[in-house]
Amino acid sequence: MKMNNQNKIAIHLNKINKSYQKGNNKVVVHDDFNLSIAEGEFVALMGPSGLGKSTLLHLIGGLDLPTSGSVTIGDRRIDTLSEALLSTWRAENIGFVFQSHHLLPVLTAQGNVELPLLLTPLNSKQRKQHASLALRLVGMEDRSKHLPKELSGGQEQRVAIARAIVSDPKIILCDEPTGNLDRKTADEVLTLLATLNKDFGKTIVMVTHDLRASEYASRVINLEQYIEKGKQSQLSAAEVNL
Amino acid sequence: MVQLINHSRANVKQAIIKQGMALATINLKSFPHRAIASSVSILSIACVAAVILSVLAMTQGMVKTLERTGLNDTLIVMRAGAISELQSVMFPAEVNILANNAQVLKDSNNQALVSAEMFVNAEMSHFDKTGEEHIEKLALRGISKSTYRFRPNFNIIAGAKFKTGLRQVIIGQAIARKIPALTVGSTITVGGSRWLISGVFSDNNSVFESELWADIGMVQSDYQRGNTLQSVRLALKANTDIDALNKEWQADPRLNLRIMYEKEFFANQAENLTRLIRWVGFPVAFIMALGAMIAALNTMYATIASRSKEIATHKAIGFSAFAICFSILTEALLIALVGVLLGVLPLYLIFDGWTASTQDANNLSQMMFNFELTSGLIAQTLLFSITIGLLGGILPAIKAMRLPVTVALRDN
Repeated sequence: MKMNNQNKIAIHLNKINKSYQKGNNKVVVHDDFNLSIAEGEFVALMGPSGLGKSTLLHLIGGLDLPTSGSVTIGDRRIDTLSEALLSTWRAENIGFVFQSHHLLPVLTAQGNVELPLLLTPLNSKQRKQHASLALRLVGMEDRSKHLPKELSGGQEQRVAIARAIVSDPKIILCDEPTGNLDRKTADEVLTLLATLNKDFGKTIVMVTHDLRASEYASRVINLEQYIEKGKQSQLSAAEVNL
Repeated sequence: MVQLINHSRANVKQAIIKQGMALATINLKSFPHRAIASSVSILSIACVAAVILSVLAMTQGMVKTLERTGLNDTLIVMRAGAISELQSVMFPAEVNILANNAQVLKDSNNQALVSAEMFVNAEMSHFDKTGEEHIEKLALRGISKSTYRFRPNFNIIAGAKFKTGLRQVIIGQAIARKIPALTVGSTITVGGSRWLISGVFSDNNSVFESELWADIGMVQSDYQRGNTLQSVRLALKANTDIDALNKEWQADPRLNLRIMYEKEFFANQAENLTRLIRWVGFPVAFIMALGAMIAALNTMYATIASRSKEIATHKAIGFSAFAICFSILTEALLIALVGVLLGVLPLYLIFDGWTASTQDANNLSQMMFNFELTSGLIAQTLLFSITIGLLGGILPAIKAMRLPVTVALRDN
């Protein structure tokens, strides 16, 4: 699917430069990088390690700042926000799903999903209702009282997805969400993400090495080709249509 | 498909304290898992709290004991240069000169209200029930009948007063509490002679309760002091100009004395003792506090290192850096509180009200006092220990605040 130009732009990275110092060497991760993602897209970022896929995810999520260039999410430029404002912005707009789910071991599935809601004015009863709803959505309602150690890898990732969506963010950022899962479980998780994209209109950006994962995305960006093409044309992205 | 409830995004912003409290609550849930790792820090703070509280309780016990001693309107006279009764020597001729001063009050028999007292740092030995001999250094005060007039709080609580001309002593109740073998009717050896304990006295928990009192003549005889004595207490007429009196006596070539109010004399002793204890106790406590702070620092750094992904996840979810800092400080505070509890509770249960004794630096004899762990002292200890905990937690909390999320999350 080519990006529909009539769709509203959800994510826009403009002339992004990102470098960091490693000892005496300056490592350039991105050089004059551009990317636009429309609302409701499910984009898979692929490519070899070291090309800065996760860095892009962190820039979009406001976890990292570009050396230069701008990051605009919706109508808001986020690279100029203070850390405190970025935190609030993240709580309102972004849901993260990590490869290693990062659930808190002392909290039950329900408790973990309620975590982002602690940042909202919802009371305890309302938080429980929201968390139950999110757990039901990912098919984990019957495991709500289980601790992470009592869940399988796929179940943990489902709970992590429930945590990512519980505060109803517009954008979900997934960093290798199936990296630690077997094929069957990975497919279940990817189906869930596709459902969130299609049925709930969530914009999803997923970093993955999994070729099968790309089958669930509406647009796949091979970063290696994308960067090469970008250098040649400076205009359009290399896209793999599905 | 079930729709997610869409709550107001405008209300997502929340106060840092509320976020911090939420994270602190989560930290508390996982605290038992870190209890063993935190135990060094907890024990260090417990030791500091125990030492601090002990020093404070000792100081307060001594000060209170000395504050209860002496009268505001009684003048104590000693040899010039003497800072304690033990260092002073006076002669009957001097006592007569003092007693004949017009400013000294007289009783109904026109006798001057004067108490000449002898003070000895005595080695007292006694035998316990098993026949084992024990030796204690105690203050022995030789007194006369007039002395009782200068001790308005004096009461015989067991037995009777000693009889003049006999080797009989009365002992302060602090001694009786400390050495239960010393009962009325038992004997002790003082100055090479056997003395009968005729009674036990109280004196408003003053320092006098740490003394043995006996007939001054018998003490002078046993200690071969002739008719010398150590101090004189005088009752003066109201509105006596003490400065003028002092000038008069200083100008008298027959006298070489130092005068001061008895209350002031014991207050000075309290100050000297307090200074001594604090000079010794507080540096020790300070070094221990430094150690406890470093232990707390290490514990919190280790906690942050082991929880870096958790902290990064909180940040990624949207918790503010200040809320994370707050939650780490709360944990440091909790460690300090558990430490204080462990340090103070056993001390309180075992030692509160316990009669302790120390060597009086001025008189070289034992001074007994009650080890009082008051709420005020416990509050001071708590405040000090919490400060240590917070100081130990502040750098790690700042580190957690500044933790780069991307690095912490990538570090698989």
